[in-house]
Amino acid sequence: MSDLLTDVLSGGVRGGTAIMLAALGETLAERAGVVNLGTEGCLLVGALTGYAVAAETGSPWAGLVAGALAGAALALVHAGLVIWRRADQFATGLTLMFFGLGITSLFGVAYVGKAAPGFAPVEIPLLSDVPVLGPVLFAHDPVTYLSYLVAPLMWWWLRRSRSGLLVRTAGERADVLHLHGYRAGLIRGGAVVAGGALAGLGGAQLSTAYAHAWFEGMTAGRGFIAVALVIFAAWRPLRVVAGAYLFGALLAVAPVLQARGHAVNQFAMDALPFVITLLILAVIGRRTLRAAPQELRRVFESSSSN
Amino acid sequence: MTATATAPRDMLAGLGRWAAALLGALVLFALLLLVKGANPLTVLWGMAVSTFTSPPTIEQIVIKSVPLILAALAVVIPARAGLTNVGGEGQVVIGAVAAAGVGLWLDPSLPGPVVLVLLLVGGGLAGAAWAGVAAVMRLTAGVNEAVTTLLLNYIALDVLLYLIYQPWKDPEGSGQPATRPLEVAARLPLLGTTAVHVGVVLALVAALGTWLVLRRTAFGFRLGVVGGNPEAAGRAGLPVRRLLLAAMLTGGGLAGLAGAIHFAGVEFKLRPGLTTNIGYLAFLASWLVRHRPLPVIGAALLLAAVTIAGDSLQLDSGLPAATVHVLTGLLLLAVLGWTRRKGDAT
Amino acid sequence: MSVVFRMPRIAVFVAVAALVAACSANTAGSGDATGSGAPGKGAEAVGFIFVGPKDDYGYNQAAYEGSQAVASAYPDLEVLTAENVPEDDNAARIMNSMIAKGAKVIFATSYGHLDAALKVAAEHPDVAVVQQGNLITGTVPANAGTYFGTVYEPVYLAGIAAGKATKSDKLGYVYAFPINQTISNINAFQLGAASVNPKAKTYVVNTSSWCDPAKQAEAAANLIKQDVDVITQHQDCTATIIKATEAAGKYTVGYHADASSLAPKGWLTGSEWDWDKLYVDIVKTAIDGGFTGSKYNANYRVGFKTGENPFVQSAFGPSVAQPTKDAIATARTLLGTEQGSPFAGPLTDQDGKVRIPEGTVPDYAEIEKIDYFVSGVVGKLPK
Repeated sequence: MSDLLTDVLSGGVRGGTAIMLAALGETLAERAGVVNLGTEGCLLVGALTGYAVAAETGSPWAGLVAGALAGAALALVHAGLVIWRRADQFATGLTLMFFGLGITSLFGVAYVGKAAPGFAPVEIPLLSDVPVLGPVLFAHDPVTYLSYLVAPLMWWWLRRSRSGLLVRTAGERADVLHLHGYRAGLIRGGAVVAGGALAGLGGAQLSTAYAHAWFEGMTAGRGFIAVALVIFAAWRPLRVVAGAYLFGALLAVAPVLQARGHAVNQFAMDALPFVITLLILAVIGRRTLRAAPQELRRVFESSSSN
Repeated sequence: MTATATAPRDMLAGLGRWAAALLGALVLFALLLLVKGANPLTVLWGMAVSTFTSPPTIEQIVIKSVPLILAALAVVIPARAGLTNVGGEGQVVIGAVAAAGVGLWLDPSLPGPVVLVLLLVGGGLAGAAWAGVAAVMRLTAGVNEAVTTLLLNYIALDVLLYLIYQPWKDPEGSGQPATRPLEVAARLPLLGTTAVHVGVVLALVAALGTWLVLRRTAFGFRLGVVGGNPEAAGRAGLPVRRLLLAAMLTGGGLAGLAGAIHFAGVEFKLRPGLTTNIGYLAFLASWLVRHRPLPVIGAALLLAAVTIAGDSLQLDSGLPAATVHVLTGLLLLAVLGWTRRKGDAT
Repeated sequence: MSVVFRMPRIAVFVAVAALVAACSANTAGSGDATGSGAPGKGAEAVGFIFVGPKDDYGYNQAAYEGSQAVASAYPDLEVLTAENVPEDDNAARIMNSMIAKGAKVIFATSYGHLDAALKVAAEHPDVAVVQQGNLITGTVPANAGTYFGTVYEPVYLAGIAAGKATKSDKLGYVYAFPINQTISNINAFQLGAASVNPKAKTYVVNTSSWCDPAKQAEAAANLIKQDVDVITQHQDCTATIIKATEAAGKYTVGYHADASSLAPKGWLTGSEWDWDKLYVDIVKTAIDGGFTGSKYNANYRVGFKTGENPFVQSAFGPSVAQPTKDAIATARTLLGTEQGSPFAGPLTDQDGKVRIPEGTVPDYAEIEKIDYFVSGVVGKLPK
């Protein structure tokens, strides 16, 4: 039984990492007052670019950096359109998702089935021997280890640093920034682009450390899950981590049970992460909404009528 | 409500921006094709010729635009009340599922036209109920509907897959994951000798009806007020919550109807990938024309044409099928970014 | 609110009434395909549609390569190909645009393309439409047919290699959806393994997708965790599972394509497509005007018993010993005989019920209808 739990949880970390990185990126953008539904697109371009650069240079680390840059580039389009051109955030984000799907299949054909160096799991001595926690947390690839740092750093940075304060203010009271001579647009843009970089990193993790392959549309909705996750985590980086691992674990339940010969309804299992998110949102929605950045609430409460 | 008075000049400027945006998107797309080593002129010319010069293709564009129009109206109406319905895809799927449920249950026993009417109603109700989940969550828990409708899309797809792989699978179908086909008598009839089914009439009526309701009725006016400023609307004594709910349910109903029409007019069976992005494309179609019900028809036709032109991308130029998403994406980005109007015109 | 529009309701009703008067029944797909000229005769173009990308290193790529064999066999023939064609009415549209470009022979290469293929066949009696892998139930139209190899035969042989190689007696099978073809493959794999190793069991995990690499990674990781030491699959894209298996030091049995380069150590063998001859022969039959009444104007199945199976066994990997190769060769010969079949009775299902009695050898059509797992497969099918 505990073995089963260990497998579900370690699957949760494995499968949750890309979602977590994307959701942390989205958290950053939303803390600054911008929703990016194009996160799915950022994941996709990150996955392809990461894999392609790893294949061409022979270095998965180079792939990781390139994936982050690609995610940032797509997010820059989003930032430009919604901040500079004042386009609708939801529509622009969804369009970017389509665009990301198209552009990656256009340029990705050369990399389907092509071999590329990737990240292999590295067990951390001693720590990986700890019961349950060892296999769950310390028997993964280096990117996953790296990802452990992102949320605490973001939490600290948002809270304690001056630039973090600026980002939060851009999401809460943009007019205050203006009074003090800052340009809220630039700060928001920076947060969106940095968020896209994180999503791109998540995509690169997916292709170079998890699936070890590129295939068009391989993110399969994980970017949307990330967006929903941010709300249910009430825009807090540490809760995002918990939510992402929960999602990963839900995705892992079916194979864990099946590999032991148990019958599961595959379609019910597939719907489960989405159903559970909806339920959680229904239960805690009202409370989390109060935690939403002010500028974001404006986006959420009246969006289409521009 | 002001735009029509100062029309000609604004309209000309608007059209100019539109044309410039579209041209810009095409130029970018051409550049991408160049990077891929294809000759953009040949590709675009091939797309245009093979799409617009053959009557069967034009019929196909019309057929494809029918569910797009309805699902786009499912974005238009909630948008008027300030709601973002990204759940067209799921509502279309559930509409088709319900239509199949009703149709395949009744078609052995009732006359075809009766079954047809019932399945269309069933599809509409199911779509409304699916959107209703998001509406209720918005009203009771304050959860943004853009997010919930997106999540509901994935659940709808799993419902569809479950039904066709298990309880509804056609026992005569050699194991294929699909239901049995709807009886011929219960299908949407075709218009004259064309391949176009009468769903096109329903779609046009729905667009016209939406236009009338939004423009000429107190309900439409109130929706606009709520969309403009919900707080002020509340203070003015409007039943804001009921209006929001009504907008979402009507929208979902239209998307569900789109699914039912797609089922009874084109597919006749439920099968995996039944809707192929109708809901998402419709969302973009509605945005393309800033949620105006009559221009939605044009936008749906345009996106249907682009999708069908995508066939020629691969048949003539050997480019990957999804390349067409690049073009769609660029067109939309250009329109979203560069055709914004100052006022909110109907 | 300046423009007053009084007309519409009446106008709409009038229009609807006029249109209803002009309606006809929507009977697409039930037409009769007897008409002028032999289907496909003198074709100047041939069309192929694929459900996935034509470079997936799997099913679709194999079919695409077959189409290119047709192109080189008939240099004057225009070969049209379309990838990512969904298994719905869009497929009919794309086939129609191929016909508009002059195609007179159409290959619809995915299981789910059958309905669209039959619809197109009914609309174009002069075009031969063949579908890969599904079965036409009822009367086969004069210009249509299905064709396939008996995929489970080489899978059975690969199962022998797996049964010999396993040390834990646990084999893993990652599949997408419980369609009959997949069920036959899983059964054949288990039966092949059990024929040389009665203790061998096959653990099945599904992914609900023909290609979702992340789900594949999770499936492989869990099978490996359960001590499974040979993994095979029925997925459209195969690289993720093979790489994960190789990285864990386990054995791979391939599917769709020779991927031994991805698993230099653990590759045992596999099954792969070689459509070239069959495609070229179908095209030749149609162009010569002999399609109707030919073996392709039916549910054509070819296997070791009846001719050249387009589904062939892949090359062996380095670890496969000579006795294993010999056992496979013997089984291969047996499958070519009258009494040889992976599913020869007695065949018991998972619940121990005898489904095919001793002494009965099911034919290819019966095998395609098997919808239960045989004993030794661990995991349940949805009811």
